[in-house]
Amino acid sequence: MRRPSIRSLAGGAAGIASGVIAGVVLTAVSAAGPPAVPRLPALIDAAHVPRLLRLPGEPVRLRYSIVCAPRDDGLPCDGSGTVYIRDGGGGQFRPLALRRGDDSKEGRYYIDVPPELASSAAGFSYYAVLRDDSSGTTVAVPSGGADAPQLSLLLRDAIPVDLGRHLFGRVRAPDAQVAEASWGAAPQDVGLAGSRELGYSGPSSFDVEPHGTVDLLDSVNGRVMRWEKGRREVVALGGAAELADFAVEDDGGFDVLEPRGTLRAFRPDGTPRWSQKLADRTWAKLAHGPSGPVVLQQPSEQWMPVAGRGAPLARSAQAHAAHDGKPLANGDEVVVERVGEGELRVAETAGRSTTLRAWRITSDTPLGEVQLAEPYGPRMVVVTKTYTDDRDEFVVLMLDRTGLAGRFSVAADSWTETAPLARFRLAAGGLYRLRTTESGASIDRFDLEVPR
Amino acid sequence: MRRLIVLFGLGVILSTAAGAQAYHRFWVNCNYDAATFMTTMTRDAAQDYANAARYEGYQWGGGCWNYDDVDSYPNDPPADTSTHGEGGDCSGLTFKTWRESTDTWRDGRYYWRALRNVHGPYDAASFRNGNGAPNHVVAKSTAGVMDAFASSTHVGMVFMRSLYGGDQIVEAKCEACGTNIFYRTYRSDSSYGGVGRWGWTG
Repeated sequence: MRRPSIRSLAGGAAGIASGVIAGVVLTAVSAAGPPAVPRLPALIDAAHVPRLLRLPGEPVRLRYSIVCAPRDDGLPCDGSGTVYIRDGGGGQFRPLALRRGDDSKEGRYYIDVPPELASSAAGFSYYAVLRDDSSGTTVAVPSGGADAPQLSLLLRDAIPVDLGRHLFGRVRAPDAQVAEASWGAAPQDVGLAGSRELGYSGPSSFDVEPHGTVDLLDSVNGRVMRWEKGRREVVALGGAAELADFAVEDDGGFDVLEPRGTLRAFRPDGTPRWSQKLADRTWAKLAHGPSGPVVLQQPSEQWMPVAGRGAPLARSAQAHAAHDGKPLANGDEVVVERVGEGELRVAETAGRSTTLRAWRITSDTPLGEVQLAEPYGPRMVVVTKTYTDDRDEFVVLMLDRTGLAGRFSVAADSWTETAPLARFRLAAGGLYRLRTTESGASIDRFDLEVPR
Repeated sequence: MRRLIVLFGLGVILSTAAGAQAYHRFWVNCNYDAATFMTTMTRDAAQDYANAARYEGYQWGGGCWNYDDVDSYPNDPPADTSTHGEGGDCSGLTFKTWRESTDTWRDGRYYWRALRNVHGPYDAASFRNGNGAPNHVVAKSTAGVMDAFASSTHVGMVFMRSLYGGDQIVEAKCEACGTNIFYRTYRSDSSYGGVGRWGWTG
């Protein structure tokens, strides 16, 4: 081999050096050029807490947040809007222009409902069309607009229930543990994800079938664990579904509601059946409806059917079929409204507008989310959270025509994060609760007394 | 001459290969412009700002995003700042939305545009404790639009209270779930505390 000359070595080094310099320059030019920043398209969103259950004489102010593309001067959206309102559930809507307030802590835009509508025995129904005046973009709230307006009912005979101040630490132990699994990925285990720094998530939801089979969504491992008469079975779903909600269909299929708003339906063997985007941007809870899955969605704050007769419903069809109340199998509905810091109103209605019975529950300790409100025999079972800044417990209320027929407290017992309103299920055997600890997950049953 | 060309090519390959990892990260699109000092800061303008960050992704220790409604680098390994992907993390999103200063003793209002890469000096636990001149602890039951709930591992802002007693929370949640508005029950969860920003002007 010929020994390289100084000249050829210098030439080679110069070649590599110039190549490196050229490469660096090329990289720098392509990386430091003007970034591809798409212009923020006109966008509009909204938020509104509907006033669904009102007491006689209560003034009614409807408040809205109008949310637009952020302005470069840092000021809020230049918005406007109209509330379309009418007496009862039928007839012509009349427009009322929203006023712009000075404060936006509960929504900057508002109207005060005229007294003749606020006191109407038939209630009033309404929807709003909100506008970004800088772009002309509009949005309806609820998203079904005039086809599915919010209906505000007057509670003339709400049964008062005063819970007083909550005494923490007096929790009821479950009557049975019906399912249990340790953390892990083995067939008999349930998956755990996360870390001490990020927080943990585990099984995010569960369901109880009418004949008592318990189904746990093993979100991390992407499967369903079924406990049927003491036998455990695993059905793979083909992918993780962390923080998803879950329901079992009558035919044994599974509905999985993903965090970003897609409902995926699976056959009993875990193969995909269909998937469908929700109408609204946010969801709170998946539940069984009379003819398929229903989802409580925001900003509409309504229960929307996502499928009917086994087929998915388009987003517009969901919005136009929305109801304020959670639909029951017999056609009745349960309407819920949390008011202020410590008040909860619950009504059972025939159809949308006839109040069958209602309760006004007040508490000296703040009340949090309503996990469940469903009839159970002649009673209404309500599971809600009560909390202070450093303590929390669930409260189970059994309501009847006399008021509070029974109550007990249940420890929060959630070491992992779950879907938001998926901690409890009511079934023929009683009240079931999903519990997680450092060692694993379990489903417990609380027996409920049912008067004949 | 042929050798020179071959070695030139080798040099180009070497230089780009060495920088490939950095080149393919989102942070090359970001800037370090000064924040704009502002005299006003309303809760609904903060809603506008946080809402526009939806779908832009999540990056541990990050605070830079564009407005194309796509997470340019999803599913990076969690808890790794060096991945330099798109989006804020929970505390970075809160810091920018609340127009805070990188100096913890300043309580003025500083507007950081989306592509300004800044996370701020607070993690979730710092927010939970109300650390820093602009922050303070609030009673959870009174928290309203654009107040926040923070734990030792996470912080999210109230987009709006909700009918069933939970909250619509705008948050940078995780690599898999990105930044979005989710329904959460942080308000009643004892691992979370209420946090507020001083200085709202409406």
